[in-house]
Amino acid sequence: MQRSANPTLSDGTKLSDLINLETREVKMRTLSDPELYELEMERIFGKTWVFLGHETEIPNKGDFVVRDMGSDSVLMARGADNEVYVSLNVCPHRGMKISTHDVGNTQVHVCIYHGWAFKPNGDFIGAPVEKECMHGTMMTKEQLSLKKARVAIYGGLVFATWNIEGPSFDEFLGDAKWYFDTLWCRTDSGMEVLGPPQRFTIRANWKTACEQSASDGFHVLTLHRWLSEVGPYRKPGSEGGGGDLTPEMYGTEVYTAHAHTMRCIELDRKIRRLTGKEPADLSVKEKLEALPPPGLTKEMLPEMLRRFSDDQLKVMAWRPPQVGNFFPNGLFEFVYIPTPDGVIGVMALHAYVPKGPDKLEFVNWILAEKDTPPELKATMLRLGVQLLGTSGMVEQDDSDTWPHQTLAAKGAMSKEITLKYQAMYDNAKPEGWPGPGDVGDGFTKDDTQWRWWQYWHELMSAEN
Amino acid sequence: MLQKLLEPTPLPPSFKANRVRAGDSLYNEILDFLYDEAEMLDNLRLSEWAELITKDLEYNAPLRHTRTTTQFAQTYSRNVQHLHENYGSMMMRVKRITDTKSAWGEDPPSRIKRLVSNVRVFKTDKENEFKVESYLLLTRSRFDFDYFDLIPCVRHDILRREGSELKLARREILLDQVVIGTPNLGIIL
Repeated sequence: MQRSANPTLSDGTKLSDLINLETREVKMRTLSDPELYELEMERIFGKTWVFLGHETEIPNKGDFVVRDMGSDSVLMARGADNEVYVSLNVCPHRGMKISTHDVGNTQVHVCIYHGWAFKPNGDFIGAPVEKECMHGTMMTKEQLSLKKARVAIYGGLVFATWNIEGPSFDEFLGDAKWYFDTLWCRTDSGMEVLGPPQRFTIRANWKTACEQSASDGFHVLTLHRWLSEVGPYRKPGSEGGGGDLTPEMYGTEVYTAHAHTMRCIELDRKIRRLTGKEPADLSVKEKLEALPPPGLTKEMLPEMLRRFSDDQLKVMAWRPPQVGNFFPNGLFEFVYIPTPDGVIGVMALHAYVPKGPDKLEFVNWILAEKDTPPELKATMLRLGVQLLGTSGMVEQDDSDTWPHQTLAAKGAMSKEITLKYQAMYDNAKPEGWPGPGDVGDGFTKDDTQWRWWQYWHELMSAEN
Repeated sequence: MLQKLLEPTPLPPSFKANRVRAGDSLYNEILDFLYDEAEMLDNLRLSEWAELITKDLEYNAPLRHTRTTTQFAQTYSRNVQHLHENYGSMMMRVKRITDTKSAWGEDPPSRIKRLVSNVRVFKTDKENEFKVESYLLLTRSRFDFDYFDLIPCVRHDILRREGSELKLARREILLDQVVIGTPNLGIIL
């Protein structure tokens, strides 16, 4: 493969042959091609900020978890200075994996092969038999440290990048930050994971999951129809379910320069049902009190109200971001689930870790605010497990779909078929929408997912 | 506090003195229960299976971690789990399959064999409740794929006698895999 601004695959196909920027089509081949996969690991996962976990997973000095940045295993550890460090989980001596555990606590990571030892921050301490200097004298101890990634903590979320001199994390978030703050930065105490993440393997290309994560609204109507047949969105009184999720498809969709996107689904119907009043007649505060954001209680609202601008609060009470993605491979859900005991919020984060062109690992964290009352945390967690992740009644349909797309992408004819993103917003922002970014109003469209591919293309065509 | 809310009711210990020997009529009855349950689930008779569970069901599958030998006991996580169910949520899972036409994760259904073995039965402090440990090797064949997804696990059950019937009151599923090797646990273990 030639690695230029328009890379050429070994059969002569150019990147530009795989994506049609005018007609908004992407060839199926992209969903399984091994050469493209290698290039993605360098040009996407080697360049962007990658979501790895939450700082509450490693609360104490020396705590660590093993995670993946693209195709590389990394150690995410809390150092002696209480900072979070991310280092390549590979010994610079002979390439053995430093930690083969998933989680633990240690002040010294010792490679079991030849005994080289490293601090949680990746610094090389030394090799056994110090006086014999097993590591030689050609390189300094500093040069023999674990390869260190650049780390950013945002609302407790841990991101890292190998692009040491590249854009800052805030630049990477861009216009998405205005909205993401209303999810991750709602309380003074911050959020916490309710336990370690669920992990499972799907025989599918990482992009099948990730292009969907960029706010695919349409699939909910069909793939998740059970939600309205027997699930939580079954309308009261409708015989045999009804199976129509159309009302859930309306709202605002936001897409930003670096392909972080979100579906801001309207709460008006829920608020009308809860209060018996017209949302237009209620103040922002009254609406938030009637239906606090996921994980918050009425008692927690005064603190939240202090933290945000009137514009942000307006969105939080009207059309809050409920599902969306962090480019390249993170998904978030802040959903309001109707239950017999009222509306319960569920907050989850996924990473879709690439494990080769035809395999991904689905990692699912469930979160709450630290200040969420324990009883509510327990309810949110159980509901999260029932709907999302490994056994989740919603997401088991997604994970069964992606392998078929990946297999189809190998057919001589079907690899030339295109994925189409041609449902476009033609209207402007909804009246009075105060948030930044590109904004579409009304019934869900393809613009968010198309933005995902546009940015994929931008990064894949960048030579350095 | 949260941990306390999430922890399942502790299982009674597996004391040797409480062991019900293989071949005992109670042991045989329990073995029949497990075999019948496996056959029922393999053949998608989920509504019948739903008759076998008690209203106070606890049905859990903890997460697993790779840790050192000395930390073997800490390899299970019981806050976030793969399955964390009660009677109501299990019934929702059953209804999703039986009462909708869009449970795509299991429609068309997988072909599954639940191979049950290594069954050990223990009496408990409650006269009508028995602790049952069993190994389960579940093989799952999906679509026209030429491989099987394998789900090996140990199950720790509490079976309760209600009238003349045995019912499943509690199940904890201890999976071998840290990263589950099947696209979902949309099946009953």
